[in-house]
Amino acid sequence: AAFGLYFPRKEYSENVYIDQPAGTPLLHIHALKDSHGEVAHFHLCQNLVISRARSHENHWFQIREKTGLLHLSKSLDREDFNMLSVGNLMQLSKVMLYVFLSPHPFQEKECDSATRTTVFLSLINASAPVCSSLTARQLCFTEMDLSFHIKENKPPGTFHQLQLPSVHHLCQNLSISYKLLAAEGLPFRYNENTTGVSVTQRLDREERERYELITKCTVRDGFREMQVEVPFLVNVLDEDDSPPFLPNGTDTADAVVEFNRKEGTVLATLTVYDADTTPIYPLESSRKKYTGIIITDDPWISETFRVEHVFDEIHFSPNGSQVRGTRHEYKLVLNKSISVTDHRSFQLDVLVNDTEFHGPERSVMLHFNVSILPVSIQFPNMTYQFSVNRNAERFAQIGKICIENCMKFRGVNITYKLLSPNISCYPVSILQGREDKYGSLYVNDSSVLSRPECKEIQYTIQATDKQSRKHAKTLLTIVLEGTLLKKEEDCPDSCAQSKHHAECEECGGLGVLTGRCQWRQGSGKGITTNYSTCTPSIKTCPDGICDVVESKEPSVCPQDCTSGNIIGGHGKGTGNLGIKSGHGICYCFPKQNCYCEKDDIKEQLCDDMCKTVI
Amino acid sequence: LAGPPSPGGQDPHGWRGAVDCVRANELCAAEPGCSSRYRTLRQCLAGRDRNTMLANKECQAALEVLQESPLYDCRCKRGMKKELQCLQIYWSIHLGLAEGEEFYEASPYEPATSRLSDIFRLASIFSGMEPAATSKSNHCLDAAKACNLNDNCKRLRSGYISTCSRELSAAERCSRRKCHKALRQFFDRVPGEYTYRLLFCSCRDQACAERRRQTIVPSCSYEDKEKPNCLDLRSTCRADHLCRSRLADFHTNCQASFHKALSSPAVPPLILLPSPSPHPGAGFDMTPNYVDASTTSITISPNAIQAFGNGTDVNLSP
Repeated sequence: AAFGLYFPRKEYSENVYIDQPAGTPLLHIHALKDSHGEVAHFHLCQNLVISRARSHENHWFQIREKTGLLHLSKSLDREDFNMLSVGNLMQLSKVMLYVFLSPHPFQEKECDSATRTTVFLSLINASAPVCSSLTARQLCFTEMDLSFHIKENKPPGTFHQLQLPSVHHLCQNLSISYKLLAAEGLPFRYNENTTGVSVTQRLDREERERYELITKCTVRDGFREMQVEVPFLVNVLDEDDSPPFLPNGTDTADAVVEFNRKEGTVLATLTVYDADTTPIYPLESSRKKYTGIIITDDPWISETFRVEHVFDEIHFSPNGSQVRGTRHEYKLVLNKSISVTDHRSFQLDVLVNDTEFHGPERSVMLHFNVSILPVSIQFPNMTYQFSVNRNAERFAQIGKICIENCMKFRGVNITYKLLSPNISCYPVSILQGREDKYGSLYVNDSSVLSRPECKEIQYTIQATDKQSRKHAKTLLTIVLEGTLLKKEEDCPDSCAQSKHHAECEECGGLGVLTGRCQWRQGSGKGITTNYSTCTPSIKTCPDGICDVVESKEPSVCPQDCTSGNIIGGHGKGTGNLGIKSGHGICYCFPKQNCYCEKDDIKEQLCDDMCKTVI
Repeated sequence: LAGPPSPGGQDPHGWRGAVDCVRANELCAAEPGCSSRYRTLRQCLAGRDRNTMLANKECQAALEVLQESPLYDCRCKRGMKKELQCLQIYWSIHLGLAEGEEFYEASPYEPATSRLSDIFRLASIFSGMEPAATSKSNHCLDAAKACNLNDNCKRLRSGYISTCSRELSAAERCSRRKCHKALRQFFDRVPGEYTYRLLFCSCRDQACAERRRQTIVPSCSYEDKEKPNCLDLRSTCRADHLCRSRLADFHTNCQASFHKALSSPAVPPLILLPSPSPHPGAGFDMTPNYVDASTTSITISPNAIQAFGNGTDVNLSP
């Protein structure tokens, strides 16, 4: 992009009063050069912008083409004011003027040059103030901050004039002088004769990107002397003048694919630094500015991998002042899930290119040593053996089935299956959640458990990888143990229905392991996750997860799975399921409400008195 | 010095404030010339790129004709019926007029002309506050109590709180979209005397300031895994008519003006109030909030809040 001349400010502002005479100077606009020998020409667009899309031909303002002095060419009377205030929704009437910049005299009034600055003129519905009514602040400075931007690596030049032309014109008998403080050793100079501030040398943003000076203004009116100080800020704008570099020269990283083979997995990350800044908005153009491309002619590699580029801002301090730079991270990412049978090693090269840097070192090559290891689908070197109490009820959870390293797997879909035995004893089944890497073994038919001929049951478990159809088998032995207890009469189906410790442990319910529900005694401090409740098995319920077995039957563990109302002090669990925390004792009526309440009825203890009676 | 000129249409060819865009659209539809031009313009804008649109002679002609139509000057009312439809009509014209590079946009909402009603509104709030607040008083708690005693406020407040604190899954904390919607309803449908009090209560201690910060359930409506870039957020907001309008309204009403000497002293605190809701971006991608529970650091214009919080006397200059 050809920059050319530019304005050190995006906006200027000044007040215009009724009936100010023609010839009144309003403000001084400066331009800075891109290269030596350029000459700035200023000109105005033909229209004043009043509000969006409402504009009026400019009859009142002119700018000196060479000096950039904006002045009134015709005074504004009340009628002009009224006309220009129409359609202005702001509290104060403001009109906008665009000032354009060109390196050559303007041939015709072209109004589409990209280099423009905006002048906001506040139309003030009063005649110009008298000098004595103005404060020192108003005499010295406009309302706008003295804040400028200067591009790095550009020739020096004057970029601002401190004296306000309008005030100078209005209050000739006042002496107003300025000083630039805190400028020692900085590349800025104030010229007393012209009140101009100039930059004296080429700036380098990578050295320093912000200069904070102070402008001091002294107003003398006869014997009175007033002083005002305002900050004077210069920001240095960046251009792409630094090549990318590698921290400690690291250009190689190992990327190992083993258990995690899922699409989207980040395998390795390499970092590239750049002393230049990278704007984050708009993001896409910055990504185009800095590219990272996989260099390969192997279609399998370009299909299977992609490079993700993220960048963020870092700070470094070249000489005491903080300067911003950029850290680019190039992540090697799996573009699709890799089959468990794939087995390859190769070097993958990524070319990083700083497209806007014009120099020989604009690109760096990154290397990823990729090793894709196969993983085997196999059970650990042992057979599974679980014992099941004969009094267990349907949905009692017996144990988990898992192939080697199954919990580390990602992107590998393993399904577990029980191959049915040839006998009629067949009490258990296996279930698997949608994202679960393991299978849950549970009692599916509790009537089998009471049959004396069923003692030891042998199953074969098969684990299959969906994608590669690879599978493994192992043996599972279920041993039935314990003696049958007499079933209590009129016990509810669900353990969760019991309100008290005693009745809880007298009854069974769906999901119990040994024929009896278990009581969990909570801490009883307000609303807590550790509430008291009656459950088929403290290990699995309530644990805050509505697992695959519990979700098959709502009566098993409503504490984890209920989606109904909970009455009393409580907090709901994830996804609005279950009771995460409760007050006192929580109990539920399956498919209806749950209740959490403090237990006021203390269970009668037999004291010494009663024992004697007995 | 006189106050700023009221934008109410005293000028015959000035602001015809009475017409809202839905009505203007009906008027335009009744005129064949206007309606065909309006259709043309909408087709021009469907391409979404202003520069290509203006390069087209037909589009430019349509725009020029429409500037004379009631559509050009139409505005919308906050919380009106068919507000969204009204805003769509507004932007369908103004997107074509907009300077794409403009940082501030004019508000599509009618300027709040009735400053008096705001003063009464303020007065009603202050009357609800205890005079000479003791050091123990907690304005934010009082505001919550006041809200709970009003059926409408209570219903909508508990509505957004339960929506915003409903955990969906371990990965997704809440439905941000639904939370924002519920927040919008709360701020749009509950009178300012309740909502302002909740949002802009003044605090002397940390607990109160934390309660104030928690008003909009920031964990769901405000916080993000990573802080996005403000310009990015702004362009997201500008792609949505409602968000864009509220942002423009906020800018229009809350821009710091240096001309304090020239505007009546009542204007700075009051000008903030007519914004569509006390929380101009609440319930949008650009949700502002208190950054921390400090008792003084305030993200929304501090002088408005202070004028609000301590019941400053408001002088009305005629």
